[in-house]
Amino acid sequence: MDRRDDLSSGAPRRVSVNERHAEYIEGRARLGSASLAEEGPSSDLNHARMSETSPFASDEAGFLAEFRQALKELVGVLRLGRQTLYYIMNGTREPGDIAEQMFAIGNRSMPFMVVTMAFIGAIIAYQTALQSSRLVPDLSMMGATFIKLLIRDLAASVGALPLATRVGAGIAAEIGSMVVTEQVDALRMSNADPVDYLVVPRFVASIIMGTVVLLIGGFVAFASGMFVANVAFDVNPHTFMNLSLITSGDLILGFLKCLTYGGAIALVSAQRGLSTFGGSEGVGRSTTEAVVGSCFSIIVLNLVISSIGYVVFPAL
Amino acid sequence: MGPYERGELMAGPDGALLAFPRFLGERVLALASQVGGVGILLKDVLVRLSPSQIDRLELFRNLGRMGVKSVPIISATAAFTGGIMVIQAAPFVQQFQAEAFIGWAATFTTFRELGPLLIALIFNGRVGANNTAELGTMKVTDQVDALRALSIDPVSYLVVPRILAMVSMMVVLCVIGDAVALGGAVLTADLLLDVSPNLFLSSAVERLEVWDFGLGLVKSLLFGLMIALMSCYYGLATKGGAPGVGRAVNASVVASASGVFIVDYLLTFIL
Repeated sequence: MDRRDDLSSGAPRRVSVNERHAEYIEGRARLGSASLAEEGPSSDLNHARMSETSPFASDEAGFLAEFRQALKELVGVLRLGRQTLYYIMNGTREPGDIAEQMFAIGNRSMPFMVVTMAFIGAIIAYQTALQSSRLVPDLSMMGATFIKLLIRDLAASVGALPLATRVGAGIAAEIGSMVVTEQVDALRMSNADPVDYLVVPRFVASIIMGTVVLLIGGFVAFASGMFVANVAFDVNPHTFMNLSLITSGDLILGFLKCLTYGGAIALVSAQRGLSTFGGSEGVGRSTTEAVVGSCFSIIVLNLVISSIGYVVFPAL
Repeated sequence: MGPYERGELMAGPDGALLAFPRFLGERVLALASQVGGVGILLKDVLVRLSPSQIDRLELFRNLGRMGVKSVPIISATAAFTGGIMVIQAAPFVQQFQAEAFIGWAATFTTFRELGPLLIALIFNGRVGANNTAELGTMKVTDQVDALRALSIDPVSYLVVPRILAMVSMMVVLCVIGDAVALGGAVLTADLLLDVSPNLFLSSAVERLEVWDFGLGLVKSLLFGLMIALMSCYYGLATKGGAPGVGRAVNASVVASASGVFIVDYLLTFIL
């Protein structure tokens, strides 16, 4: 769906969205009645229903088509990233729009993230202790291992997944509903580029607040891990708080991950939001795709950064 | 509510004093009603679990739609997870001069913890959110009421097949994911650490217990149930037209994710 071509002609598009929506509602009603009449699973109505509700839309072609679709989305994200960088340099900022997004992305996610990270810290600490106690019965190095693991990878990478769920869904739903209610077209008509006006504030805010939220989350995870180690494994908090294994490479790597994930979440979700079509159901679909896409991009980026980090900053 | 609307009280002389308790109370009541709603939904589903009340066709359609179509993304996730766990385990294994343990160290965490967790989070985004959007759209376009008018029970027609499909497919996807993660881990260990696949696998097989694998399956069963219940509840509780669907999807995704983490925490400690 190339937005630019679509949007250059204002009036026809308006009809097409409404039509698509009407068609969709009608189709949905038809499908509902079809399934009530218990049609066979091979009927093309069911087929249509499957393809339309599947996040990666293409149906019969299977893996190859899905791969191609994913590549297309990747290209879309990269193109959006280039535009975003361009507008960060050359765009016009309205005072306070980045701060507003920072509040929405950071402060609003804080309670959810703190609770989640507390649980994550407890789980990781328990798991680390269990695993190392099977190798060596001595738990005195458990804290050092836990902290290193937390800083180097897990605080950022595992914490980024709930963050992506929360922030990514929010960004995609917001931009998506602006697209289907033609507010984005209205922006273009008043000569305000949507990328400049909508994506750049979210991108910058997500990088800054994503890092802040993940850092705070890391501290929460550390505290809850220390608590669990003390309660469940009798590890003294003083023994636990052993920073001897931490190198500057770990800190750089962890910080780099936080920054990258924040940017990736915003870009992937904004791209999905901007390519929304098909009314309210379309917004639901792009929200889904945004969550899956940003979670997946986090996992892929994690592998890439970790492998590079393993070579550049040898862990010990 | 009446005169105790939030805005009015805030404007009054004692507004500032009451604002926080009011906020707290609203949150607690909302949370309680959500937890209660999910509980009632669970009861409704359990009551209808006798086979005569399951819509077979819907069940099979949902199994395909939710399970089979999630295989590519779940496999990709799992492969990367396996690789990441090898890279993360590597320094500690090298520290103890125990290259022979790397297979065990990486697979232990992947099977017990990270595999089910990451698969559940992706599944939540892909299937759970989609499910909420679908049910929510049906709700706001009055199709659920239409079902009722036709004397078709919406729970046994819409909810039960979805919940069964999600729970069973989560377990199946976890098995597939574990297998793929093992492949990814072996590949990464071979390429990056020069640990031969033979050494890797034999250390995994020797030291892993069946329960390490079983715990992952139990976890993904409960994660699936959590995601299924949450997404169906929020879908059927949608109100407020098209924007309501977006809100419901958002709420469902966040609630399922926190639910998954809480269940994971409890299970890690109990089992």
